[in-house]
Amino acid sequence: MEEQLRKEARRLLTEGEVAVVIGYGWNSRKTRVTPVFITNPDDADKLVFNALCVNNLSIYLTRKYKDIKALGKPAIVAKGCDIKNIVICVSEGQVARDNVYIIGMSCTGVVYKQELWQGELTDNIMPTKCHNCEVRNPHVTDIVIGDKVDFTPPEEPTGMVFDKIREFDRKTPKERWDFWIDHFNRCIKCYACRQACSLCYCERCITDKNQPQWIETSAHERGNLAWNLIRAQHLTGRCTECGECERACPANIPLNLVNSKQALIVKESFGYKSGFDMEEHPPMIVYKPEDKDDFIK
Amino acid sequence: MPRIGVFVCQCGNNIASTVDTAKVAEEMKDMPGVVYTADYKFMCSSPGQESLKETVKEHKLDGIVVAACSPHMHEKTFRKACEKAGLNPYKCEIANIREQCSWVHHDETKKTGTIKSIDLTRMTLERLKRNKDLTKISIPITKRALVIGGGVAGIQAALDIADGGRDVILVEKEPSLGGNMAKLSETFPTMDCSQCIMTPKMVEVELHDRITLYTYSEVEKVDGYIGNFTVTIRKKARFVDEDLCTGCGDCWNKCPFKIDSEFEHGLTKRKVIYTPFPQAVPNIPVIDKENCPKIQKDKCGACALVCGPECIDFTQEDKIVTEDVGAIVIATGFDLMKNSKFAEYGYGKYKDVINGLQFERLASASGPTAGEIQRPSDGKVPQSIVFIQCVGSRNEEKGVSYCSKICCMYTAKHTMLYKHKVHDGQSYVFYMDIRAGGKRYEEFTRKAIEEDGAMYLRGRVSRVYEKNGKLVVQGADTLSGSQVVIEADMVVLATALVSRDNAADLAQKLGVGYDKHKFFSEYHPKLKPVETVTGGIYLAGTCVGPMDIPESVSMGSAAASKVQALFSADMLDREPITAEVAEATCNACWDCVTACPYTAIDRTEIKNRKGEVVSMVARVNKGLCTGCGTCVAACRSKTIDLAGYTDEQVYAALNAF
Repeated sequence: MEEQLRKEARRLLTEGEVAVVIGYGWNSRKTRVTPVFITNPDDADKLVFNALCVNNLSIYLTRKYKDIKALGKPAIVAKGCDIKNIVICVSEGQVARDNVYIIGMSCTGVVYKQELWQGELTDNIMPTKCHNCEVRNPHVTDIVIGDKVDFTPPEEPTGMVFDKIREFDRKTPKERWDFWIDHFNRCIKCYACRQACSLCYCERCITDKNQPQWIETSAHERGNLAWNLIRAQHLTGRCTECGECERACPANIPLNLVNSKQALIVKESFGYKSGFDMEEHPPMIVYKPEDKDDFIK
Repeated sequence: MPRIGVFVCQCGNNIASTVDTAKVAEEMKDMPGVVYTADYKFMCSSPGQESLKETVKEHKLDGIVVAACSPHMHEKTFRKACEKAGLNPYKCEIANIREQCSWVHHDETKKTGTIKSIDLTRMTLERLKRNKDLTKISIPITKRALVIGGGVAGIQAALDIADGGRDVILVEKEPSLGGNMAKLSETFPTMDCSQCIMTPKMVEVELHDRITLYTYSEVEKVDGYIGNFTVTIRKKARFVDEDLCTGCGDCWNKCPFKIDSEFEHGLTKRKVIYTPFPQAVPNIPVIDKENCPKIQKDKCGACALVCGPECIDFTQEDKIVTEDVGAIVIATGFDLMKNSKFAEYGYGKYKDVINGLQFERLASASGPTAGEIQRPSDGKVPQSIVFIQCVGSRNEEKGVSYCSKICCMYTAKHTMLYKHKVHDGQSYVFYMDIRAGGKRYEEFTRKAIEEDGAMYLRGRVSRVYEKNGKLVVQGADTLSGSQVVIEADMVVLATALVSRDNAADLAQKLGVGYDKHKFFSEYHPKLKPVETVTGGIYLAGTCVGPMDIPESVSMGSAAASKVQALFSADMLDREPITAEVAEATCNACWDCVTACPYTAIDRTEIKNRKGEVVSMVARVNKGLCTGCGTCVAACRSKTIDLAGYTDEQVYAALNAF
């Protein structure tokens, strides 16, 4: 699989079809994988793909990384889940589809965090998204690397996040509020969640707007609540539940919980799953006459 | 330092009874930037406005706050006064201390009302300090109107606008003009023949130089705004060339296939190629695609063989036409409620239980029986007829809560028509109340009872069933307190009027409101009865609610006069409250472009000196922008701001709270 990937990368660079291949490579001690940016065909052998490749590299396609954009047309090594983000970026005009070469990787699951890797991929170290993955065979690609994976996601979503959501649905609003206030209070406003997210691509984030300053920037209760709510709201109907924000959070705030709950609501209300249709704009911004209006009393 | 004046209005006792206006003015005196305060009995009165103008000049004010009623009422008044005093009108802001304050706080000590008024006025003051001078935007008006619906209301509106010298596009979804009125026999209270007064108007529309008529067509999409709408119309395939057809009728005479006629409400059959009724305008048939064997399975084609001018084309397809118009009149009419909900009356089960419109057709000279009252089951002349009123109307459980308004009158008319045609017949009317409000209406119903012998029974019918070829009607006569059983030959149901099936769809296409019964909402039920909340879109006829012919016609004329008034100016002044994009921080995600209901936002290229495109940004077309603020809410990076309601203004107001 890796050989096939390297061969394709070498071809793309040699033939000048792309200027850079964004993929995964080993760190110097070969203990973790890290993003690599291959511009020289001779370096193509540095590319790897395995169960440690949890990072969603699609952020390197956004306007946040102007230096990478400046290199020229990229190719990107992407799992199905990463491709969902690319699809949203295309539908929101951030990436032109013909201006990115997607190397889709057949995937049998990855680890939730690389630190958990013990040499074998078991169910309990896989993130919730892998248990419910619909795109182990990548859905929007220029080439697919790897053999077809035979996997049908369960009808009812499973995994830790969904167990927690079901538990949460039974709680009172007060209990939920206390839970979130407790978690948000730990937020240190490092914005790692924002930096890790390829859909948080704004040139100037609303939290950086200071005339007026709608969101307090200090790590104070009020500003923490405002920031975390705004982050969630700005991703409603767009978030693909890739989980990078939660993985990046140094304060261990369970952001996947709010993301996945929102995704469930959006699916129920609009029949929309983000990350599949490049033509369609996410539902929160689109008006359709058949949209439900039963919430207007 | 700004020089702001604060004027607190007492509004007679409307505000002053629960707000200490002098205290509000006093409090404002110490606010930074305020150089003048006053409280006055009626700020909107001429002396009130005069004093405002003089104060602006005398104290050299550069902004004013009027703490008074809702800006919907007098914002325009005070802004105009400011303009006359030489101040930019957008430097005048209204603090609403009436609708949102004095009217909702009943505290007679005036404590709550006063505190809230001070808060509201202070917030408005802080907002005002960040107001910029704005100038009105002038836009051209397309002086053509669209009328949707070719019933009597739509026809009246179209003719009035066209006679005023403006072009009109009239869209009718059926193959012919006429609507529901064309189905009626005679009309109350004057008993003139409906078609005799209707068809000349239909022909007038057809022949009018200024009216473009699209029958068998529907409005598919509406873009734009007052003065500048673009309308997409679907011209459904007629399968008959309208330019060549002479309306000779050879085709429908030849056509061997018959199905139930919609126009006759199933009382008779029509051909598959047909005009709905003999006086149809235009007198050009359509082929009913679903039922035509030639179109469905390429069998038959008889009509094409006999057609002299060879105008039948089985391959014709729907045509999409776009038209630019400046104003739209909605006149889509009503339907009758489905009688299937009222199984106790046996509609659908017994052939001789019919609805009011079917009776109209039976009584109509052009109807299936040439005006003779005959039972649909066996063609016999009924010797007794029972009329049941309020079928569905005033019945919240099974029907609708409202009164359908015209049924009392047309039922009285039906009894008269029946008596005039069947002299020895007896009619019975079960009613709840006789509602005959209207010029000569009461006299009309009295005549039905006193001269034409209609037997009026106040009470409801519980059941209708068949026995020995008769319809047995069981009901109550609440005035005599007895149960009544009548053996009738025919039963006529006065079924409730309801909105058209697709009314909600159309309302959403046009961006106008509708009520829970899907009738379109007026801007104001009393003072703006033909306007909608959307500028440039007006209402006429029964699409607003049940009404009779004189009312529909008046409303058609009223809507036309509104259109004429709009078209009387060359340019339309628009509020400068429009969105602005801060291009430096625009992400070009196009959320605003997608969200904008007015297609007012364009994708714009930013080029460097060499002419190379370096980035794309959103840009607002000020002529199209209505200042609704949808894009502002949609923009995640807060890159869009609304002039007059900027982030800074809102933030300042909130901070002052």
